[in-house]
Amino acid sequence: MAEESILTDEFLRQLIDVGEADVLVGVPTYNNAATVGHVVQTIRAGLLKYFPRERAVIVNADGGSRDETANLVRGASINDLQHSTDLNALRTLHSISAEYAGGPATGTALRTILASAELLRVSACAVVSPESTTIGPEWIERLLRPVYQGNFDFVTPLYRRHKFDGLLMRNLVYPMTRAFYGRRVREPYASEFSFSGSLASHFLAQDIWVHEVGHTGTEIALTMSAITGGFRLAQSFLGVKPHLDARSADLVAAMRQTVGALFWSLEPNFSLWSSIRDSQPVPTVGGEQEVTLEPLRVNRKRLFDMFRSGVAELEPVLKSILSPPTLAELQRIATLAEEDDFCYGDELWARTVYEFAASYHKAVISRDHIIQALAPLYRGRAFTFLVENREASGEQVEQNVENFCLTCERLKASLLELWNGKK
Amino acid sequence: MREIIVHELTQATQELVREFARFLPRLMVMLIVVLVGWMIAFLVKAILRSFLRLIKFDKLSEGAGASQLLSKAALPSSTELVSRFAFWTAWLGFILVGVSALGILGMQEYVTRFFVFLPRLLVALIFLFIGLLAASFFSRAALLWAVNTDMPSPRLLSSAARVLITVFTASAVFEELGLADSTMLFAFAIVMGAVMLGLAIAFGLGGQDLAKRFLEARFAPEKKEGKEREDELSPL
Amino acid sequence: MPQDQLWYKDAIIYQVHVRTFYDTNADGIGDFGGLAQKLDYLQELGVNAIWLMPFFPSPLRDDGYDIAEYTSVHASYGNLDDFKTFLKAAHERGIRVIVELVLNHTSDQHPWFQESRKSRDNPKRGWYVWSDTDTRYQGVRIIFVDTELSNWAWDPVSKEYYWHRFFSHQPDLNYDNPAVREEMWNVVKFWVELGVDGFRLDAVPYLVEREGTSCENLPETHAVLKELRAKLDQHYPGKMLLAEANQWPADLRAYFGDGDEFHMAFHFPLMPRMFMGLKLEDRKPITEILKQTPSIPPPCQWCLFLRNHDELTLEMVTDVERDYMYDQYARDKHMRINVGIRRRLAPLLDNDRRRIELMNGLLLSLPGTPIIYYGDEIGMGDNIYLGDRNGVRTPMQWDGGWNGGFSAADPESLYSPLMLNPVYGFQAVNVQSQKRFDHSLLSWMKRIIKVRKSTPVFGRGSIEFLYPANHRILAYVRQLDKESILVVNNLSSTAQAVELDLRQFKGKILIEMFGRNIFPRVGELPYLLTLGPYQFYWFRLRKI
Repeated sequence: MAEESILTDEFLRQLIDVGEADVLVGVPTYNNAATVGHVVQTIRAGLLKYFPRERAVIVNADGGSRDETANLVRGASINDLQHSTDLNALRTLHSISAEYAGGPATGTALRTILASAELLRVSACAVVSPESTTIGPEWIERLLRPVYQGNFDFVTPLYRRHKFDGLLMRNLVYPMTRAFYGRRVREPYASEFSFSGSLASHFLAQDIWVHEVGHTGTEIALTMSAITGGFRLAQSFLGVKPHLDARSADLVAAMRQTVGALFWSLEPNFSLWSSIRDSQPVPTVGGEQEVTLEPLRVNRKRLFDMFRSGVAELEPVLKSILSPPTLAELQRIATLAEEDDFCYGDELWARTVYEFAASYHKAVISRDHIIQALAPLYRGRAFTFLVENREASGEQVEQNVENFCLTCERLKASLLELWNGKK
Repeated sequence: MREIIVHELTQATQELVREFARFLPRLMVMLIVVLVGWMIAFLVKAILRSFLRLIKFDKLSEGAGASQLLSKAALPSSTELVSRFAFWTAWLGFILVGVSALGILGMQEYVTRFFVFLPRLLVALIFLFIGLLAASFFSRAALLWAVNTDMPSPRLLSSAARVLITVFTASAVFEELGLADSTMLFAFAIVMGAVMLGLAIAFGLGGQDLAKRFLEARFAPEKKEGKEREDELSPL
Repeated sequence: MPQDQLWYKDAIIYQVHVRTFYDTNADGIGDFGGLAQKLDYLQELGVNAIWLMPFFPSPLRDDGYDIAEYTSVHASYGNLDDFKTFLKAAHERGIRVIVELVLNHTSDQHPWFQESRKSRDNPKRGWYVWSDTDTRYQGVRIIFVDTELSNWAWDPVSKEYYWHRFFSHQPDLNYDNPAVREEMWNVVKFWVELGVDGFRLDAVPYLVEREGTSCENLPETHAVLKELRAKLDQHYPGKMLLAEANQWPADLRAYFGDGDEFHMAFHFPLMPRMFMGLKLEDRKPITEILKQTPSIPPPCQWCLFLRNHDELTLEMVTDVERDYMYDQYARDKHMRINVGIRRRLAPLLDNDRRRIELMNGLLLSLPGTPIIYYGDEIGMGDNIYLGDRNGVRTPMQWDGGWNGGFSAADPESLYSPLMLNPVYGFQAVNVQSQKRFDHSLLSWMKRIIKVRKSTPVFGRGSIEFLYPANHRILAYVRQLDKESILVVNNLSSTAQAVELDLRQFKGKILIEMFGRNIFPRVGELPYLLTLGPYQFYWFRLRKI
């Protein structure tokens, strides 16, 4: 079986020692010694506080860290060998670490965690980013409880985040996921989420692991899988969204992980999404998305410049992806002066993304190149979003996002036309 | 005299007729060979085409960006192309076999040469195909990379990549075909030199900004850091 | 009787109330004649000491712990001669007898208290703790929280408050008074002269009161006890003192002194954690409490028990642990009393034979002297609808006949109703039926006691825990001189594999102690064992 081959004998032995467990918290790491200690200690505190009676385990899937990461994770174990009375723990808590093969890849890490969850027959499994320094013990409860006792299969987080944080999420991933699959999952690609044992087994059994999406963007594939598999979704408010390090600031990588996986998922799920016309809300536990407004200096000019040079330089590439009217419109707005006249509107942006999705489906050029070609255009859209919401309140920002979502849902029919038609 | 002439004529005519009689079956054989060859080649083409369709060869080449290349070159789909190539190669082979059946002196040698040359031609064509594919793919990859990393002159970079790979391909193809080894080497060196010079000039002119930024980064790092921080918006 | 001063280290104690065991005069109450008659049964079981609960004259408002006369026998149980006969018969069978010594308090019916309360200037006034206010010793905890509101009770006769740590009908004696200490020594002397082998001292932490303290474990209390021990050692060597002090191990340690206070003390915190470990399927509670247990002087010994006549006390656990225990073992509120659970062993363990065996296996292999509560050897049930802790004090079930073979009296006249339900009733659970079969719990208990007694290691050896990564496996090595025994317990309800690091015993072979089969020799690699649900192994480690 495929999922067994990814676990080393040593790790399997650790799993045997853990035995059956009720809840599992997975931490995918790669050289996270700076923050992982605090995170696992908080996870432990959360497990002790909110799940004192449950058989719990922390599983660290490591991409071959050269630092102290694995030891820091193991240090969160509670057993009778390293005794500390002040913990007040009923049970042994195993905090185990496994180095998976093939170098750091979030997909492989997730797969290791999923395989552990399946082998340990856990009821609920949460994944927490080792960089989430804003984590509190209550996050563990908020992630695990809806699955463990609330009969949900997949819980995505809601965060308190700055209105300009997560622009890709607000301007592309969330609206498009919602338009495609009809579920309003605010954070389809999150650093924290949780799922049930049955979803873990379902997802593991899918044949995504041989594809690129099995290595990067697996998290969003899991979200898609939960939606398309008819699993029960919920959203849980956690707290302040942790600010991740510079690695995730690489736009192209981020787009590969999200948009790439999203476009990829359209292929096998055509019969499902093609019949969905509108969207349904997802039950929310413990509050809604919150928006913070503290001032932020953003280099908008750079975004705009990169958009403009992208449209100009990539013309031959865009020609093969976009329809002539859309490209012409893009080229027109690229000539406008920034700030005042420039506007990459909802409708044009939605159409752009749909045409990219269709071209991705038809593979008019290398699919990875299609995703890369979208990046400069997204920059233009992000620029417009920043300008439009410069003075906006939290509610207004949310309303604007909602409006864009509705536009996407409205224009979805155009994608269906493009999907089967000749270019 | 007349007899002689008549005799000679008769003999010549007879000879001609005899020659013709001797040649006619060969011609017929040739025609039959060509005809049968056409049929076999057609069969090969049909089988190959359905086989390629079965393994979704078009999709494969699409993924590699080959289809785009082909459509750019106004060529038919890659399946069609490959099966047509197989057809013509096979038929041409049969025609040559047929021609050699005519027993024309010297022809034999050319036919043999042709058959010796055929695999090399095939390999050269594959080289060419892959090379052009690679040139297209990498030039686009360079273009996208340059645009997304805010490099100056992405088109130039892209073209440079394309030219480089094309030149490499061409040299490999000529090498394979065994045509004018040393000439090609010189030609390659000249083209290479020209490209490099071009690049140097291009970078010199177009890379002012880059050089400036590089130097700024080098000697005024604080200023740059401030700029970077401004930009630090997490996309996710 | 063999004259080993450390006899209590090898003892297997059977705890019984004479009232509950066997009735020979058909009055519905067990008596010494009955106890004597059933000594053969106890000898067969393999126990070699009996701890008798209070059998002294008493109004019986606290199961006899409210004593009205220290040097006599309650009329219902016989007379002093009956006791002597029983004692002699027990000694003939190699069974020692431990009796109760309730130092802390008497019944309010005791002549001493009657004297004391007569007037404020009565000579015995100073024998008890009197006060004109109920505000002294503020902050001292109340033990029977379900029934008592204060540690002070108003005496309407002499118009003063008297101090009581337990029920208000149990006034505390005043150990600051030398006359009280002298009188209690006389009580001890009386029973020792008769031939008893030891005393179980009730409620020892509370003897002396001091303002501003918790009035528990005070140095003055230890002084009283040390004085008693010194006298006992001087005049009657070889007699044993067993402390009942429901305290944390660190506080308990003081009761051993430097080997000059108690010989033995109950290990109260361990007991609930054994049940907890079993339920959690995790050895952590057990190993942790034993790690926290301080070492004790060589002649001293812990006393281990699974259940006794009291509730399964949850005072010595954390709040989280207590809630867990209540939820797991006493969902029905009837099962709870004070800070504990009033249930017997078998019902606590869902009458699961495998768990009962495992718990007894632990009891008999952990370091200390085990105590078996009467009836638990046949898996008797409890009646949680009887008041106080009487639900675990129902008559012993001897056979399936009249009154379960306990008494010839009318069933209605028994001191307590018999267990009648189809699961635990005397017709389902009784000695006679279990004697007939080798696979019965009783027969199994006989076997394990025999194995336990086959070596002094269990009673006297050291313990060293192995910490296999599989936390469901509790494994330890008991060692005495050159003899080593490996004990491996599976606390979980599922089959388990465990790898034990036995390198220190490399080259030795394992001999399973029940079947005496040979297991593979210990090598350099981790020793792999597989255990079925709740299974345990005792291995002798032999060098051959």
